Amino acid sequence: MGRGLPSPPRFHETGPRMANRVNLPAFAMLAPATGLIAVFVFIPMALTIWLSLQEWSTQTGFETARFVGLRNFFDIFGSTTVGRDFKTALANTAIYTVLSVAMILPLSVAFGLLVHQKLAPGGVFLRTVLFSTYMVPMIAVALVFSKLYSPTAGPLNQILQWVGLPPSPWLSSPRTALASIVLLNVWQQVGYFTVLAVAGLTQIPAAVLEAATIDGANPLQRFAYIKLPLLGNTLLFSAVIAIINAVQVFEPVALITQGGPVDSTNVLTYHIRRVGIEFAQGGLGSAMAVALMLALVVTIAALFAFARARAGPE
Amino acid sequence: MHLFRVFARAAVGAAILLSTTALSRAAELSFLTHWAPETVAKLQAAATAYSRSHPDTKITFRAVPFGDLLTTLRASGGGPHGVTMASIYDAWLPDLVKNQLVARAPEPIAAETKSNWPASVIGAASVGGVPYGIPNEIDLYALNYNKKLFAEAGVAGPPKTWDELLSDAKKLTDKSKGQQGFGLINSWTAGVVHPFASLLVSNGGDLVVDGKPTLDTKPAKQTFELYETLIKSGYSVPSMGTADANTTGPYLDNFVSGKTGMIIMANWWESALKAGMGDKFSEIATAPIPVGPSGDKPRSISYSWMTVVNAKAPAEEQKEAWDFLDWLNGPQSGPNGASAMGDILMSMGILPSRNSDVSTFRPRLEGDPFLRGYTETLADAKGFPVLLGGQEFSESLQKTLEAMQFGQLSAAAAQQTAQGDAVQILERNAK
Repeated sequence: MGRGLPSPPRFHETGPRMANRVNLPAFAMLAPATGLIAVFVFIPMALTIWLSLQEWSTQTGFETARFVGLRNFFDIFGSTTVGRDFKTALANTAIYTVLSVAMILPLSVAFGLLVHQKLAPGGVFLRTVLFSTYMVPMIAVALVFSKLYSPTAGPLNQILQWVGLPPSPWLSSPRTALASIVLLNVWQQVGYFTVLAVAGLTQIPAAVLEAATIDGANPLQRFAYIKLPLLGNTLLFSAVIAIINAVQVFEPVALITQGGPVDSTNVLTYHIRRVGIEFAQGGLGSAMAVALMLALVVTIAALFAFARARAGPE
Repeated sequence: MHLFRVFARAAVGAAILLSTTALSRAAELSFLTHWAPETVAKLQAAATAYSRSHPDTKITFRAVPFGDLLTTLRASGGGPHGVTMASIYDAWLPDLVKNQLVARAPEPIAAETKSNWPASVIGAASVGGVPYGIPNEIDLYALNYNKKLFAEAGVAGPPKTWDELLSDAKKLTDKSKGQQGFGLINSWTAGVVHPFASLLVSNGGDLVVDGKPTLDTKPAKQTFELYETLIKSGYSVPSMGTADANTTGPYLDNFVSGKTGMIIMANWWESALKAGMGDKFSEIATAPIPVGPSGDKPRSISYSWMTVVNAKAPAEEQKEAWDFLDWLNGPQSGPNGASAMGDILMSMGILPSRNSDVSTFRPRLEGDPFLRGYTETLADAKGFPVLLGGQEFSESLQKTLEAMQFGQLSAAAAQQTAQGDAVQILERNAK
């Protein structure tokens, strides 16, 4: 065996010798990617967790941080103004997420079916139109919706009045402001999730649907017993992405409502920005970010567990 | 050998050229503001004029919406490469000083400032008696009312007391037209807190005394009750009072379109009203804040703005910045002995605070019927509290007032919540 020419790995070998031969080059090849992930993902996460245990102003260097243990976590879940505001923001985020996902998923499947069908022309055009909303910058969406939602001169209230319904205060009332932001989010995002649903529908074997048709299944039965179950993985993926997107909502709140009225649209990302940057309370802001991250991890894990339980043993 | 000499000479020549270039490199300063593009253009023009006598100083301007000004300053303005100068609201100063983001004014500038501005304005631009910025505008609040709506409702003139305020608001309210008598704002911190504070001081009260919140007093109780009465009687409709991130939105729309009889707003609002109303701006008049049952005379709160310099900018850059600000706010930079800054402020209907600017612009200030409602009470205005945690305190009070506006809290509960929260916030921030 010549020097510098490694022998090809013998995959039938087992034990430490094989592991050493195979893993070293593998580690070397993975190092750049894992190194970047470590630098840009794990280190910031670890730093945030470390800062959540400190009293620290975001305007000073890390050397000024003072260890306070779990005090920041007790504060954000406590009964003081800090805790009350955090819990309001957490609840708003949860409501926003549930409403968004509950509206986006069924709509994306409905639009997906509409776009995917071949009975009437225009499916591709409709898909393009739906997806185009996802490409509109949020600043434009925010500007347009803030005018659409105007309680006195807004077109939405005029439409409601034409059909005999009372006008809604939309963003001008704590009862309706968060739901109005949800509607804006659904309008913008549903096109993206429709594309995912269409991708899932194209994966369903035509033979299965044909067999069901031959067996006498009507369109509703084919949807309920074949398409929907076979869309399970797509819907799980869509749900995970929709939850993550919803939890990270920031722009419409920052651009339109600033968290008001009465904190009704003060979602966690906006609140963390307020506490961490505007008030410069970096330790508290980090504790909130960690709590948000944990809540997200638990939610996603629960979703996967639920999906596995429904799928049953393989 | 010849080649070596050529290289050596070239190297020496390059070194001399490089060092000369470094010495003559223009100072590059940046200025962060929240002003509108047309006002930034005036600021740019002033900087261009300054550059004629200081060709080595180059100044760039960056404008962000008011709602993003503090976060922009905190997120990107504090390092050595951050903005050199920033326009800030006085309530933010103590926290920015605590975080060592803003530089002390150099002694000559501090002395110049102390001798040319009113003591109260200097106080708002100082922490522990040390000036940190050069003040520019001063803002206060007055009643803005729609003369046409007043005439239609048979109301002869603006209310002078709270009883008259309620009585006039009742006459001005017409639900069939979607018209409210008195507009209360929401979703904008200063817009919510400052009118409340102005009514409170006009009722003999204060938000904070000696660093302690005083929202548990009788004048404060009466002010919370006034809000509750306005809401419960239907004279104020909360959903008509929403402001958006740019301090416009339905609140402004309803006033300019004649759906709101009267509001309490700051003097800088004039330019927004003119832009929104056009010729109908002449239907708007101003008057001092009505006096409450515990008050003795019309008062308003006042607040000021100043320009500060980044404490972490290089020393030379700081010096250049102070020199520019000294010129910008000095009597040589504007017309007829006014400062360029004063001239820019007056173009927006904003009151300048420098003594010489006030003298120069007095005829305009006294001749402007809109501003007269403000200038009449300037001498009796009380400065909005400038203390650590001021922004958090304001946002907390805003939330409580909005909760009362939307019927989530009674006046008594709102007063109790506001005082309790304020005590907590100010104590925590004072540590």
